[in-house]
Amino acid sequence: MLQHFDPNKDYGTPASLSEKMVTLEIDGVEITVPEGTSVMRAAALHDINIPKLCASDNLEAFGSCRICAVQIEGRRGTPASCTTPVDAGMKVTTQNDKLAKLRRNIMELYISDHPLDCLTCPANGDCELQDMAGAVGLREVRYGFDGNNHLDAPKDQSNPYFTFDASKCIVCSRCVRACEEVQGTFALTIDGRGFDSKVAAGQNDQFLDSDCVSCGACVQACPTATLMENSVIDMGTPEHSVTTTCAYCGVGCSFKAEMKGDQLVRMVPAKEGDANHGHSCVKGRFAFGYATHKDRIKAPMIRDSIDQPWKEVSWEEAIGFAAKRLKDIQAQYGRESIGGITSSRCTNEETYLVQKLIRAAFGNNNTDTCARVCHSPTGYGLKQTLGESAGTQTFDSVMFSDCILVIGANPTDAHPVFGSLMRRRLREGASLIVADPREIDLLSTPHLGTATHLPLRPGTNVALVNALAHVVVTEGYEDKEFIAARCEGNAYAKWREFIIEERHAPENVEDITGVKAEKVREAARMFATAKNAAIYYGLGVTEHSQGSTMVMGIANLALATGNMGREGVGVNPLRGQNNVQGSCDMGSFPHELPGYQHVSDSVARARFEKVWGVTLDDEPGLRIPNMFDAALSGEFRAMYVQGEDIAQSDPNTQHVEAALSALDCLIVQDIFLNETAKFAHVLLPGSTFLEKNGTFTNAERRINRVRKVMPPVAGKEDWEVTVELSNALGYPMNYSHPSEIMDEIAQLTPSFANVSYEMLEKHGSLQWPCNDEFPMGSPIMHTESFPIGDEGKALFAVTEFVPTTERANSRFPLLLTTGRILSQYNVGAQTRRTDNQAWHDEDILDIHPHDAEERGIKTGDWLGITSRAGQTVLRARVAERMQPGVVYTTFHHPGSGANVITTNNSDWATNCPEYKVTAVQVEKVSQPSEWQKNFQDNHERQNKFLRGAASSADAVK
Amino acid sequence: MFHTEEESIVTMINHIAQNNVSAGSESDVADIVENHITKFWSRRMKKILSEQLAKGSETFEPAAKLAAERLSAKISA
Repeated sequence: MLQHFDPNKDYGTPASLSEKMVTLEIDGVEITVPEGTSVMRAAALHDINIPKLCASDNLEAFGSCRICAVQIEGRRGTPASCTTPVDAGMKVTTQNDKLAKLRRNIMELYISDHPLDCLTCPANGDCELQDMAGAVGLREVRYGFDGNNHLDAPKDQSNPYFTFDASKCIVCSRCVRACEEVQGTFALTIDGRGFDSKVAAGQNDQFLDSDCVSCGACVQACPTATLMENSVIDMGTPEHSVTTTCAYCGVGCSFKAEMKGDQLVRMVPAKEGDANHGHSCVKGRFAFGYATHKDRIKAPMIRDSIDQPWKEVSWEEAIGFAAKRLKDIQAQYGRESIGGITSSRCTNEETYLVQKLIRAAFGNNNTDTCARVCHSPTGYGLKQTLGESAGTQTFDSVMFSDCILVIGANPTDAHPVFGSLMRRRLREGASLIVADPREIDLLSTPHLGTATHLPLRPGTNVALVNALAHVVVTEGYEDKEFIAARCEGNAYAKWREFIIEERHAPENVEDITGVKAEKVREAARMFATAKNAAIYYGLGVTEHSQGSTMVMGIANLALATGNMGREGVGVNPLRGQNNVQGSCDMGSFPHELPGYQHVSDSVARARFEKVWGVTLDDEPGLRIPNMFDAALSGEFRAMYVQGEDIAQSDPNTQHVEAALSALDCLIVQDIFLNETAKFAHVLLPGSTFLEKNGTFTNAERRINRVRKVMPPVAGKEDWEVTVELSNALGYPMNYSHPSEIMDEIAQLTPSFANVSYEMLEKHGSLQWPCNDEFPMGSPIMHTESFPIGDEGKALFAVTEFVPTTERANSRFPLLLTTGRILSQYNVGAQTRRTDNQAWHDEDILDIHPHDAEERGIKTGDWLGITSRAGQTVLRARVAERMQPGVVYTTFHHPGSGANVITTNNSDWATNCPEYKVTAVQVEKVSQPSEWQKNFQDNHERQNKFLRGAASSADAVK
Repeated sequence: MFHTEEESIVTMINHIAQNNVSAGSESDVADIVENHITKFWSRRMKKILSEQLAKGSETFEPAAKLAAERLSAKISA
């Protein structure tokens, strides 16, 4: 892999971005480095390694340990090399008798207050203190160990993933600085002064009770065993590692999976990771225990009816059973009676194969993906305006933003590693505008700029974005030069005429959005006058009946202000799951072949037909909600679902359950018996991201390698199962490795034309489009033109605000909006099977104090939540962050039934469900809802069916 | 919130028309609706739409109805 620096080496201080070079001499070696580089880093770059303890190249220099002292010709004393910047002509000495003695003396003081239990210490062999004691030649501690010390300091074992052993702490502050500088949480501090100084979480809280978000940055930074992963304490240090990509969220962090044999000891964020640069969150860093959880499905299973126990069978029998059922159903009910759903959690290669199976082997376009229920409006809206269904920037681009507009997203919870980068930029002074019904944590992050909250009512996004654009245009903030050069004139003129209408003025939409007009005007001015302004958005934009309109409104705002095509600007959808971008790119939608090529495009279709050797349907197939409707009408009879849990994640659960129950054959491929699998006839064991090879594409279009670190528990990677099913159906697929699938993707997908595993190994990652026009990929898109129309000019879109029909009234007076939390992931199938349960073991309903008081509700009360779709029961939490009239919950626990109450309203263009607006009533209750009682009964029954299969298989063995 | 598939199909076409009302005349809006449905809806959805039109459903908005008529004519041709 191409690397400017060795990612495994710590250069002591961060790199300087200066373009001015400075030449100096270190130990007689002439060295040229960027101005602003520390002496320590300059030396390390030339393999002159100065001892250090408090320095790390992901933290600003601190100069507290003094171990890194050097001598500089013409200067007095022994300055710390970490805090001393290079100077032209400087002559530095890093090793001589005086320095050696000084360092030994310092180290002697450290060791005099450190337990000498190296042989039984979990950091033995992986301890910087130990290494530095060796490096400085420490041979004795003259002070003895009888004086005051910290050797009896208690351990804090409250956090399920790491232990804080204060007796080993050298108070270097690396953990405190990592919490501040890398993570941006400021949960840790140095409490006390002098000898009493100690690291403390919050106000001397236990780690678990403090503001600590368990990102692991402190553990990573600790040079001793003070902060140590419990898995290392239990298992010992790892012996090899494999770099791979996290399977949680759309950030796509690179990790080193550190192993002992085929056992995963710990996940360490990779410094060379282009998306995360060595940072992580609690999920990616620690929540990998689900991979070896006892609930894993380890053998294929079949049954004739969902009221029967499972029967454990061989792979051959399960695949044969599934193929026969699919063929029989098609023979009886027609070609279009079956379909499938690809997974945003699986790899690009696996997703590509599933849609290929459906189009080529099933012979129809009944393929869809869970992006239907999250970012399908992004695909539609950005394609209509910018010509490409993807975000325009890199994550790093935010470091060039002067104004950051966050709409309907909660990056510190849902995209935590990017959230930390955003926080860093806010601390540097960028201004922040948050448009969200809730007061999200980003608003309270320490920063130097201005923070503005636009607390709009759920369902009024389009009215707000139109008002922002109205101010931009009517107050003369348009970037006329950009618009003239880069945007199509007629579409712009039409949009301009629309947006200047007085009905869009902030004063005229104040009653709709609930946001003060002057605040909207201020925000619009702030956005429009910033040198670089960027928009980041999430599902709070897309999961509305006007989701696609809002995405286009966001594109309009960026275009009108000229914030497109360079660093620090752009339109940035924050994708929910790890491979949402990839699953969309790979042709999962029923109307598009891979690379967003429409099925009606005869030229594109012909290329696929030639390579795939079949004739393809030229009409769009069924979307997920259409599949459910068609199943209930008896026209759709079988479904293949890989790695998705539609029974939990899709809206109007009772409707979904009825549809799944109506199927003659449901084939579920998953790592657990998820909610959907309870309605299945064939259960095929899935493989986790640790058990397979492939690629994920993150929210910045970055294609990253997923590498196998352990064998699949049931013997097959997911792509192999799809291949076998296809072969059993009579459509041959022949691949021996996912790299061959990627080669086929590159052959058929113009934006992936230059992508190969060889290129990925060489460059680490690539951002599409990566083809002859952009041979090294495209970090920033639309720098010169847009891939739309004959002239390559962006299209403004008229964005009429059409209010949702889902409205509050006297029967349903509150608006429910749903979302996610830091410690859990999506339907929770993975994170619920980890110690992340310590933070969130049930879904809670957040309610404003005013609404709670009106109903006599206290935190902890059981609440019945009733909507037009159904009823469920959750515990209450009275929360100031809510606005009056709005309640909020998460959907991480299936028994919560959050989607029993969401309705079948959806986005007008894509059918993306309107999860963010459900009119509800809330009242105190004393027992679970009827649905919850039925859920519990079915849960127990289906688990009994599963246990029965396992025990009968054991008996046979 | 709707309760039948037929109801949802008519609601959806009306919704597309409402969201594109600024396109101009009823015929202009119908053009957009027609193109959208041609590009994104499955055969089955288009068939149900035609059936609802044939049944004389009175819940169509004017531009949506015009688009549905054009689409139906194409299907029958």
